[in-house]
Parts: sequence; C-alpha cells; structure tokens
Amino acid sequence: MSADLQNRAVQAVELARGAGAAEAWATASQGRDVEFEYRDGALEKVKDTTSRSLNINIYAGGRYSSHQTTDLNPQRLQSFVAEAVAITRALEPDEHRSITPAELFNGRPTVDLDLVDAAVAGITREQRLAWCEELDKVATAHDRVISATAGIYDGTLNSASASSNGFTGTHAETYCWYGTSITLMDQGDKRASDGYYVGGQHVASLPAAAGVAQTGLERALNRLGTEKGPTIKTSMIVDAQAAGSLIGRLLGPASARRVHQGQSFWADLIGKQAFSEKLTISDDPLIRRGFGSRLFDSEGISAKYLPIVENGVVRNLYVDTYHGRKAGMAPTTGSASNIVIAPGKLSLDGLLKEVGNGVYVTSWLGGNADQTTGDFSLGLRGHMIENGEIGRPVGEMNVTGNLRDLFSQLELVGSDVYKYSSTLTPSLVFGGVDFSGA
Amino acid sequence: MTIKRRDFLGHMAAGSAILTMPAFLQGCGVQTATAISGATPENPFMTWFGVDQATTARVMSELTASGADTADLYFQHSRTNSLTLEDGIVSAANSSIEQGVGLRVVVGEQTGYAFTEDLTMPSMLAAARTASAIASGSGEVAPQSFNPLGTGNLYQISVPWSDVGIDQKLPVLKFVEKKARSMDPSIDKVAVYWADADERVMIATLDGHLVTDHRPMTRITVVVTARKGDEVQTGYSNIAAREEFGWYTEERLTTMVKEAVDRTLIQFEARRPPAGEMPVILASGASGILLHEAIGHGMEADFNRKGTSIYSDMIGKKVAEPFVTVVDQATIPRERGALNYDDEGNAAGRTVMVENGILKSYLHDKISAKQYGLQPTGSGRRESYKYSPMPRMSCTFMEDGPHTKDEIIAAVDHGIICETYTNGQVQIGAGDYTFYVKNGWLVENGKVTAPIKDVNIIGNGPESLKRITMVANDARLDTGGWTCGKNGQSVPVSQGIPTVLVSKMTVGGENVS
Repeated sequence: MSADLQNRAVQAVELARGAGAAEAWATASQGRDVEFEYRDGALEKVKDTTSRSLNINIYAGGRYSSHQTTDLNPQRLQSFVAEAVAITRALEPDEHRSITPAELFNGRPTVDLDLVDAAVAGITREQRLAWCEELDKVATAHDRVISATAGIYDGTLNSASASSNGFTGTHAETYCWYGTSITLMDQGDKRASDGYYVGGQHVASLPAAAGVAQTGLERALNRLGTEKGPTIKTSMIVDAQAAGSLIGRLLGPASARRVHQGQSFWADLIGKQAFSEKLTISDDPLIRRGFGSRLFDSEGISAKYLPIVENGVVRNLYVDTYHGRKAGMAPTTGSASNIVIAPGKLSLDGLLKEVGNGVYVTSWLGGNADQTTGDFSLGLRGHMIENGEIGRPVGEMNVTGNLRDLFSQLELVGSDVYKYSSTLTPSLVFGGVDFSGA
Repeated sequence: MTIKRRDFLGHMAAGSAILTMPAFLQGCGVQTATAISGATPENPFMTWFGVDQATTARVMSELTASGADTADLYFQHSRTNSLTLEDGIVSAANSSIEQGVGLRVVVGEQTGYAFTEDLTMPSMLAAARTASAIASGSGEVAPQSFNPLGTGNLYQISVPWSDVGIDQKLPVLKFVEKKARSMDPSIDKVAVYWADADERVMIATLDGHLVTDHRPMTRITVVVTARKGDEVQTGYSNIAAREEFGWYTEERLTTMVKEAVDRTLIQFEARRPPAGEMPVILASGASGILLHEAIGHGMEADFNRKGTSIYSDMIGKKVAEPFVTVVDQATIPRERGALNYDDEGNAAGRTVMVENGILKSYLHDKISAKQYGLQPTGSGRRESYKYSPMPRMSCTFMEDGPHTKDEIIAAVDHGIICETYTNGQVQIGAGDYTFYVKNGWLVENGKVTAPIKDVNIIGNGPESLKRITMVANDARLDTGGWTCGKNGQSVPVSQGIPTVLVSKMTVGGENVS
C-alpha cells in the first residue's frame, strides 16, 4: 500500500515537472472507512467505503498553486496536471512562494509512533454488531429513553508524499471509535440528550463498550431538568472534555499567518508574560499513539517538540514556511500536532472543593471569538457549583470576555487529562468570569 | 447542527483557479468514456460520467439484489477553483476535482451505503454488493432503463465557470482590494478570497427516473484589517450565489466592500452590551439565522421520526402569533440554497413549516415521508457522493408581517438590534440554540444609540417563537455564503427574515455586577 502510494506521488511530481513546474510536491492518499449505526434494537446504517485522492502543489516562475483530484484516470490526470501548471503561470509572482527548503526535511525522527493496529482491518461485521448490541443494551436501560443510537466508526488512512527537492515520506494510521448518543424525555416537550464516544488507533486499547454506554447514559441523565442559570460574575471550571475547544480558540490565531495578516491578538507577544503563570502549552508531535502524532508535517518539516507557552510566557507560534518568510520568522510548523496543556495536581473533585461556588461547564453551544482582539462570547451547558459539589444542571447561558484576559485569570489546572483528543488538556479553573443567564 | 460562515481560512488552503485553454478544456470540459466498451450513451450526463442505460441498470440490479424499498445511484463531478489575494498580490490558486458515485439501498429505516471514485463496471458492482448487504430479502426488479426528467431552470448560466479564465477573475480581486483601501486611511490589510464551482449531478432511482442537474456556485469574501494607534480591528463581508461571472458588477462588489469596511471601523467604537435577558430586535436579512437554528433544524424529519426533536409532537399546534409564517423553499432562482431537485431525485419545492402561527410540516426525505405516509418535500440533501442524504434546509425565511421597522424600534425601551452574524448552533432535543452577533446596536428609549459587538445570544426554540411579538414588512434574503453542517455533512443554504422583535432572549455581555 505505502509503496504504491509513494510511487503514485513520485510519478505525480515527475508529471508536474514534465509539464513545466520548477518544483512540485505531491501527496497520494487512500482510506477505508466503515460506519455502523444501530438504533433502538436494529441496525440502521452501514457504510463501507474506500476513497483516494491526489494532491499536487506546483511552484513555477515564483508562483504557487495547489490542486486535488479523486479522478486518477492516467490520461485525465495528465491533462489535470498540465492545466494546474498553466493556472500557476497565470498568477502573479510572489518572491516568498517557494518549496520547503530541503534542510527542513533533515533530522526526521525515527521513533515508532505506534499508530497502526493490524487488527482494525480485521474487524468483522459480527464484531461491530456485537459492540452495537452491547452499547444499545446499556444505553436504553432507562425508562426515560426515547432513542439511543450506537455508532462504530473504524478505518485506515494511508498517505505518501514526494517532492522535486528530495522529500519522500509515508504516514499510516488506523482508528476505531465507538459510543452512543442518547435522548431522554424531559419536562414538557423538552428532550435531554448527550452521549459518549471513545476511540484510538488500537482496538485492544478501548474500554469495554458497556462502560462507554453507561457513561453516555449518565451524561444524558445529568441533563434532565436543566434550567436557565443566573447572570453572575463568578468562578468557572471548564471540564477537561470541554476545555479542548477553548484551548483551540485560544490557539486559533497563534500563527505567523494570522499575525502577519493583522488578525491575531498574539502579535508581539513572544517573550512576554501574556497569560497566567499556570498556563503551559506545547505542541508535541511524537507522543506514542497520539491523535495528532506525526514524523513530518504537511510541508515535510521534520517533527519536533515545540513549546508555545511556558508558565504564561509566549515562546513560539505556528510558523509555516511561506508566512515565516513574509513575517521574518523561522519556520516551526504551520499546523498543530498534539497540543499538550501541562497538568496540575488536583483531581476534578479537588478543583470543585477549591472553587467552592461557581459554574462547571461540561459543553459549549455555539459562540465565537474575534481572533484579532480576543473578544469571545460562548453558549454553555453545565452545572452550578455549590459548596464544592456539582449542583443543579444549567443551560441557556453565555460566558463572555476576552481570551487573553481569561487565560490571565487561569487560577488552577487539574490533573484529569481528557484522553480522546489531539488536544490533551485537564479541567481548567478561571476566576471572575462574566456569565449571562436569567 | 451548526451553521457558519465558510471559513475563509479553510479556503486559503483550498485556493484555486481556472484557465480557458485547449489543454484545460480537454482535461476537464469533456470526459472521454471510461472502460465500458460499446457504450452508446444518449444523455449528455451519461456521456460525462462514461456510463449508459445498460450499465446503470446493471449496477442498480446488483444494488437491489437483496431487496430495497428505495435505492439510488448518485453520480457527481464537482470542480472548485479558488484564488487568494493577500498583501496586494494574487499569489495562490487551488483547483479541486471530486468525482464518484454513491450507491444507496434503503429497507424500512435501514440504509446501506457505499461509494467509488472509479467509475468502471467492476468497481461500481463491488460497491453495489457492499451497500446491498444491509438487505436480506429477495431481489427487487430493477428498471431496465431510466427515464430522464426535465432539467430545472433555477440557475442556468450563459457561460460555465470552466470557460472563465484567470485573466478575467484577477481584475475582480484587484478591484475589491483597491476599493477597500480607498475607503479609509486606517485600512492596513486587505485579503480577498474567490471561489467558483461547477457541479454535475446525475441520479438514477429505483423507480426508473434519471435526474440531472448542473449546479454552479460562486462566492467572494473580503477581509479588512484596520489599525488606529495600537488598536487593530478585523471585519469581513461576503456574497455567494448560484450565479455566473457577470453577477460580479462593480456596484455589487462595492456594496460588499463597503459593508466590510463599515463593519470593521464601527468596532473601534463598539462595546459589549450589558449581560442578561432583554428584548432583541433582529434586523432584516441575515437574522434569518434565528429561523435556521430556533426552528429549522428541529423540523428536519429525521429527528422527528426518531422522536428526538423538541418539535416531535407539535404538528398542528399553535407555536407563534398568527402573523408568523416560516417557509423553507429551494425554488428561489440563483440563491445559494436553491435546488432544482434534491439529492434523492425529488423535485425541490416549498414547505411551509409554520403557517399563521400553526406548526404545519416537517422537512422530509424519502425515508421519513414513507414513515409518515406523506410525499417527500424535496429536502433530501447530501454534501457529496461520499454521503447518504438526510432532510436539510435550503432557503429558510419568514414572510412579511403587519408592523414596520420603525414601530419595532420605537417599542423597545432597553434592548439591542442584531445586524451581522458569524455562526449559530442548536440542540435538537432541548431546543436551546445560539447565534453569534458580530455587529449590532443598543436600543434605548425607542432609539438606536451605541454600537455593540461580539456577543453570543442564546434562547430556546419554541419559547422564542412564542416571544416573536412584532414582525415588519421588510423581508429579504441574505446574500452571504452560509454553509450548514449536520452529522458531518456541509451544504450551502440561504436564509432571510423581516425585522422582528423577540421580547426576551439571553444576551452575552460584560460588566456583570
């Protein structure tokens, strides 16, 4: 598989060079995905697909363009590439556009990231059905359940890249996820719903399906009787699972591209104490079985550990080669791998006790942030924290503020890292947060 | 279950462009038949995909060999081109071709699905066998030929995007950039993102129909960054439609640029409103996001046939004042959400979801329509051949009411007006929904006073419908490039509304005491 894809990528680079490209980068990929969904005692959907694509980046005469196709018919591919080169030539020249310098390919790590489990390709229909039945049995074991859908999602992704200046590399990973979404009858016409899913590259690493469904059911039961919370300034605990997307909003503009385009509150922060000293964030591409692990990035830059924030001081941004040249910054990598928040010592219970009273956020509902100013406003669901305990469920509330201010008000970091994400963060505690509700 | 502006960052990576030249036309304009020998296809779409009646019938027969209530082959070829202007130069382009056939079998509520990007007989037959494994009955009698239905005329364009060269598009991006820079000396950066797409869809159904549709789409986005001293603000605007190149008149582009510049500059003065519950006026146009989130998703019949929507037991009940009528209509010419046929091959139409305050109809696909014993509403949509269809919105709007915009503003003592939005989301079961307001105004003592920005608004669908106390007579559809996401599938949509007063919603704000 990898050898076939590598050949396909190398041939695409040759095709592009033959058509007049000065430099070219190609990635060939292929994937198999299987999806089983099972609802209320019966199989509802089976999807089984194999897909493929070819990406080509072309550099010609100081110009650049990128192209993708799923049509690999050799004759049509040839004209697709010829046209891609012609498109490139019709653009305006840009001195900063050039292929990744070959020296950035050097020093590629050789560690085994352990991202492939041969057992995934061997998962049988019977196994998927057995998981579905186990999930369904537990998820529907409550008289308020209106509907529960169990889902099994597994597959394999293979890709290979090649460049005209000497890069070759392959990436492969498998995945298997399962869990349930559950809807319960609540007051009046309202339904309470939630769910829980787990996943990994390795089938044997997954917790038993019954326990996953039990967690999903408990999460849904916790939503019963949700009422609108108060308008209040208080402390906020963001649950480890919900914290990932908040970290994503914080890091969204932490790139050379955003800074150079004048669309980032991270401009001019390198070396400065921009956030609470409790905050330490790194990008670590080499975590064994990490969901974002890789040996090289999409530009071929060899993977390495990258500190982003250390004790609140900004150390690095995400810098791709093009915007790095424009902004006068050395390239790091243009895209996140595994984002790691340094954990603290307290469990969630410990955080709750420490906080005493406030709002415990378990998930977000909509909202957004202005990446230039950091101003944000987010809808949320969760619980009131009362005397160090999780209290009544609340929803229909917003939390509003500024991301830089918020992460300066980070008071505590938990020890309860959420595992099923490429953003590895524990629960986070913020002081003095503005909530709007009733 | 989210609706959001097309992320122009995401588009950067997918930049692209097209040229009118022989090599190009040969490559993409006309395809040669694939490996099917002896094919004498008469339909131009069949020619395009390199199949004929006999091949299609053979694959359908394999697909339904173990039984089917409904089944379809969804052939699709889409080509997207985009261009990026940053720092004064158009220095990135992207082109993308996606081609494949999706094969679906439905038995009761069960769906088997597979697709292949290799349109040869062996690959299509293998995919058909995979999809058919959902069924375990006796074979259906598949049609021997497929009867072409008439082509729709909602978005015929005189010059296909494949014939529009980069040399024509570049001046448009340049014009937008120069126009933006000319509007205010504080403007520091201007970025322009262009996209055009040609999509060909051919659907062969188990009941012997052949539906073909040629769907153009285009969008332009301008992002403006202004700097005043140490303060920096960014704003943007975009327009999108199933249109042709000539749609981009100087007037239309200038209006869009002015919107982006105005939205950016006003943020230097704008503040956060106070937090909490208050009356909210929704300005006409993009505020249709309220309908999309507060009711539209909850009316998609897949949720209702499963009983998981808050609207599951409300058909026929009064949900709003008599002057509230909410419609989803795909048959509005050239709108971003317009469709001649849905992605199951049903004629697209107009569905009145709320008529004079009474909840009337869900949005159905074939599966839910059969379960409810109704005709499909033409709402079965999918992102591409890679996905099975489900009920979705198209162009969702509220009809005019009896009030005027001025009357509505005068009726509010202390509240806000919402004008522009970036995104929204809804929980189908609880009915809670949100949308993010990028720009708006405070209303005090019946007058519009200070600008506000960056607040999330949250409410409950059925409660908010009941609280629509005034509806003006200025309904209009928004021309923004809205994209709706549901269960991992994105589809283009439109939305609109007249000026509306919701008597109470929760506004995200600061300065909580």
